[in-house]
Amino acid sequence: MADRHGGKAGRRRGGRSRQGACPGCREVRMGVASSRYWAFHQGDAHTAASRVPPSSPGGGSPLALPLSGKLPLGRYHLSFRDLTGVGPQTSSPSTMESTQEKPAESSSPVPGSEEPAGLARDPEVLPPKESEGCARPLETAPKKICGYLSKFGGKGPIRGWKSRWFFYDERKCHLYYSRTAQDANPLDSIDLSSAVFDCKADAEEGTFEIKTPSRIITLKAATKQAMLYWLQQLQMKRWEFHNSPPAPPAVPDAALAGNGPALRLELEQEEAELEEFLCPVKTPTGLVGMAAALQPVPAMPLALQNISLKHLGTEIQNTMYNIRGNKQTQGTGHRPSGEDSSPSEEPQREEQPSPPDLSAPGKDPADSPKPTPKSSLTANLIQKAKRQSNTFPLFTEGLTRNRTAQEKVLALEQQVLMLTKELKAQKELVKILHKALEAAQQEKRVSSAYLAAAEDKDRLELVRHKVRQIAELGRRVEALEQERESLVQTASLREQQVQELRQHVQLLLDKNQAKQEVIQKLSEKVTQDFMHPPNQTPAPPDAADRDLLSQQEKMEHLKDDMEAYRTQNRFLNSEIHQVTRIWRKVAEKERALLMKCAYLQAKNCQVESKYLAGLRRLQEAVGVKAGECSELLRQLIQEALQWEASEASADSAVLSPISEYDEYGFLTVPNYEVEDLRLLAKIQVLEVHSHHLLAHEAVEQPLRERWAALGELAPSAEIKQLLRAGVPREHRPRVWKWLVRLRVQHLQGPGRYQELLSRSQACKHPAARQIELDLNRTFPSNKHFTCPASSFPDRLRRVLLAFSWQNPAIGYCQGLNRLAAIALLVLDEEESAFWCLVAIVETIMPADYYSKTLLASQVDQRVLQDLLSEKLPKLMAHLGQHRVDLSFVTFNWLLVVFADSLISNILLQVWDAFLYEGTKVVFRYALAIFKYNEEEILRLQDGLEIYQYLRFFTKTICNSRKLMNIAFNDMNPFPMKQLRQLRMAHRERLEAELHELEQLKAEYLETRAAQGPAVPEGCTSEDEGEAEP
Amino acid sequence: MMAIRELKVCLLGDTGVGKSSIVCRFVQDHFDHNISPTIGASFMTKTVPCGNELHKFLIWDTAGQERFHSLAPMYYRGSAAAVIVYDITKQDSFHTLKKWVKELKEHGPENIVMAIAGNKCDLSDIREVPLKDAKEYAESIGAVVVETSAKNAINVEELFQGISRQIPPLDPHENGNNGTIKLKPTSQAGRRCC
Repeated sequence: MADRHGGKAGRRRGGRSRQGACPGCREVRMGVASSRYWAFHQGDAHTAASRVPPSSPGGGSPLALPLSGKLPLGRYHLSFRDLTGVGPQTSSPSTMESTQEKPAESSSPVPGSEEPAGLARDPEVLPPKESEGCARPLETAPKKICGYLSKFGGKGPIRGWKSRWFFYDERKCHLYYSRTAQDANPLDSIDLSSAVFDCKADAEEGTFEIKTPSRIITLKAATKQAMLYWLQQLQMKRWEFHNSPPAPPAVPDAALAGNGPALRLELEQEEAELEEFLCPVKTPTGLVGMAAALQPVPAMPLALQNISLKHLGTEIQNTMYNIRGNKQTQGTGHRPSGEDSSPSEEPQREEQPSPPDLSAPGKDPADSPKPTPKSSLTANLIQKAKRQSNTFPLFTEGLTRNRTAQEKVLALEQQVLMLTKELKAQKELVKILHKALEAAQQEKRVSSAYLAAAEDKDRLELVRHKVRQIAELGRRVEALEQERESLVQTASLREQQVQELRQHVQLLLDKNQAKQEVIQKLSEKVTQDFMHPPNQTPAPPDAADRDLLSQQEKMEHLKDDMEAYRTQNRFLNSEIHQVTRIWRKVAEKERALLMKCAYLQAKNCQVESKYLAGLRRLQEAVGVKAGECSELLRQLIQEALQWEASEASADSAVLSPISEYDEYGFLTVPNYEVEDLRLLAKIQVLEVHSHHLLAHEAVEQPLRERWAALGELAPSAEIKQLLRAGVPREHRPRVWKWLVRLRVQHLQGPGRYQELLSRSQACKHPAARQIELDLNRTFPSNKHFTCPASSFPDRLRRVLLAFSWQNPAIGYCQGLNRLAAIALLVLDEEESAFWCLVAIVETIMPADYYSKTLLASQVDQRVLQDLLSEKLPKLMAHLGQHRVDLSFVTFNWLLVVFADSLISNILLQVWDAFLYEGTKVVFRYALAIFKYNEEEILRLQDGLEIYQYLRFFTKTICNSRKLMNIAFNDMNPFPMKQLRQLRMAHRERLEAELHELEQLKAEYLETRAAQGPAVPEGCTSEDEGEAEP
Repeated sequence: MMAIRELKVCLLGDTGVGKSSIVCRFVQDHFDHNISPTIGASFMTKTVPCGNELHKFLIWDTAGQERFHSLAPMYYRGSAAAVIVYDITKQDSFHTLKKWVKELKEHGPENIVMAIAGNKCDLSDIREVPLKDAKEYAESIGAVVVETSAKNAINVEELFQGISRQIPPLDPHENGNNGTIKLKPTSQAGRRCC
């Protein structure tokens, strides 16, 4: 509470020092030291704002600080001006004494009315010098952020505030601190690049925190404003650091460096934005910047306590340095003389109000004969002012140290004042004497006229004339007397009236008073009724009064708190804004680095895969002959295969590891048991990974954006192209649902799926057994189907069972499980997956594709053969030469739409287009897969090797863009008409063949029946003999 | 250097009896509970010594579901041997086996060696097909018969050894449909066994 009173007193004092100055003076001063003026002003506001209820933590002495911080502000400022070498007041002690005596002596009857003007001009002389002094710290301050702050630290009993000199290092974005500004070695530093700043409204005034990942530093600035200044500056610095182009060796990327100016612009713009949060705080002059270094270390109760125990080494070093330094530059550090001369300004300002008061009586000529009391009054006033200024606790401190210089100036100025006043009084006197002389001269003229009269008659006449004049005058006096009496009467009448009116007013006042009391009582009652339950007995009015008062007080406190919180909020908003910006920036950088990393990783993968391929080639070339070489090769291969394990556990795991499963749950590394296949698998995985890494930023990002920009889905050329390029994972379910709906709209009825489900439960389709058998064999490499806890097998069962009743003719065909599983994995919804399956089997694929005879599938095999011969004649010739029949792979491709063959991301891209465009896509891709690997197949010169290669070669395809381009560009023209014609022709042929086969069979049976129960084949008799184990 | 004889072998049998598992066990000595059902066909090779020859098995694994039967001729055509697999825990699969035997007799290569494999013999406690039945049947058609377990690696090697033994020794005069015969240096596929 005492603190609060102190605060009020401080404010009052600060306010008077402003009001005391005459308007002209004030303007001048504002021009000179407006920053200081505002500092005072803001300081006042904050003092009010930061009043904290006594109950809140740290609210013990929140106001002692602003006071001690605020007033020295002005003093330091002035002292700085004095330091710059203005001080013309330096005079000898003797003159000083004489001026001190002057005011007492100036009892001369000369009043001074013109004096104030001269006095007012006095400060006008100062500004240029003062601003000169000010300009320097203002210019340097933005460059160098430094100043004294209190740092909370220490351990155990010596925990507490320690004054530290803080300064910011631009290059490292570190905030260093040392015990004093003169210390050479900082005690420690705070890394600001990763720091966040915080200020708490309920903490002590000026307290703020810097939080770095490793620690939290609590600091205290002298004033709230200084704190805000610090916070803002630190924020700016941090931002500048983050924004500045990174050090040359870090990122040699020219593109990044080129961003420099643009970022600068952005910074400026964002700085403007920042102002919305917290208007830039004026530099608290004298508290921060290099100027503050000249100030003495803020006094601490215990000098020892200030010494850092944590950094004793640095302390000792600094002490040594100071000792050495002091020998050389003695007195330059603190400049006591400069500082001490500063308070002289204050008393001057205190005097300034007096001259205008004096000028009023000075102008009255009637008072001129007795000027002595006036001048003595002036002197008294001056002395009083002086005494007042001397009672300033802060100035006494300064005055006691060096009284002479300051008082000398004062005395001299007072002397000047006295002398001017004296001069004026003298002039007045001269004027009055002149008038007296004039009157005497007139009298003299009259008496000389009387004396000059020649005769008695004339004289008598003259006397008579005088007597008449006297009588007239007497009459006039009488009339005046009467007039006066009547006036007195009217006056008394008025008096009576006034009395009456007064009484009336009194009556009204009483009435008002009574009414107010009633109102107050009623309002109290109301508040009481409001506060307490109505049945409670009303508190005595006294208590209510007190209650109201305390309520008001509380409200006041709350208002203060609110103000404080508002300030805090504003700051924190700016902090959040900044941190977010930094975060964004850092994220950007990180993304760039990640991209680079991904690129490098991809490169690495490519190199690795090339190395492995090389090893494999070498192995093949060397063969078994060279035992030593092959041993070495085997070792190298073993090593290469083992890389994976060690790599995954090391750093690569953090960035983008070659994860075991892809985003749809497919195993990325095929499980080959044979060693050379494992090598191939490894090569392939590396390739896939490198492609994935490379494609991620360059290809997928723009696509993603295009998909995101796409609104309503509607069939169009654009969507066709987009679907061919592949749908991003996040859009795929939505897009597929749309594609499926396009195809099965006419089949979909409400509750159709549920109906089929219940039918499948009621009676088992013969296919149910096969479905059950295949459930656990669906995508054994996909974690969603192999995990025992997964719901996928159950959902897949339901989808397939429902389908068996949706299309009882097909029922279930091996392969449908794959189609349904893909649909489930993508759509993640049973019913949607079911309709997707329906869409594929019943609307996309030709009839009889999955039927009992697989007729259409067989037809398509032949169609594909024809198309291959047309589009890839060289390859087909090569395959024909080695008697390779492709259908053992291609049958699978077409039946399950590559579900077993392609790696999942390419597979789903194929499906994206397939669901929209239909079977042509399957043919396009089948052709493209061969084209993609044509060179490799042509290189193989052995049928078996080709077969081996064809087993897995689809999985080696990892460049989906390339494959897509082949499928949709290189394979053109690809008219649907041709496909239809081929299908029709082959269907007819196949049906004829089948018919023929049936006939053959029938014939065979007939012949067998004719032959009777003879041994069917001659050679079996041989076998029989050897069949015994 | 030993002569390498390439033998085309196809696997036939009902769905889910373990054709692919037997191949996987034989070629890679590996067992997976859930192998994706074969669609179309799958191709693998393995070379095993037999007497003074190396037999390189070119194994064609086929799809089991009945509707894929129409594709089978492509694979048993030109085969030296056929492994017909049934599941000893499923009587149905034994019926299917008989159908395959019949088809092979009717449309298969004339001298094709038939081997009957009763798979899943590790599950003999839920056996539906007695070994006796299989033996009797095999005898009646002059086929090799063996009960195997791809899971526990029982009799899989033996099955193929049995086939090897059934293959008539190389006769320069006999150059029929027992697959192509080639002499060539060992390739990487043979590395495992030599």
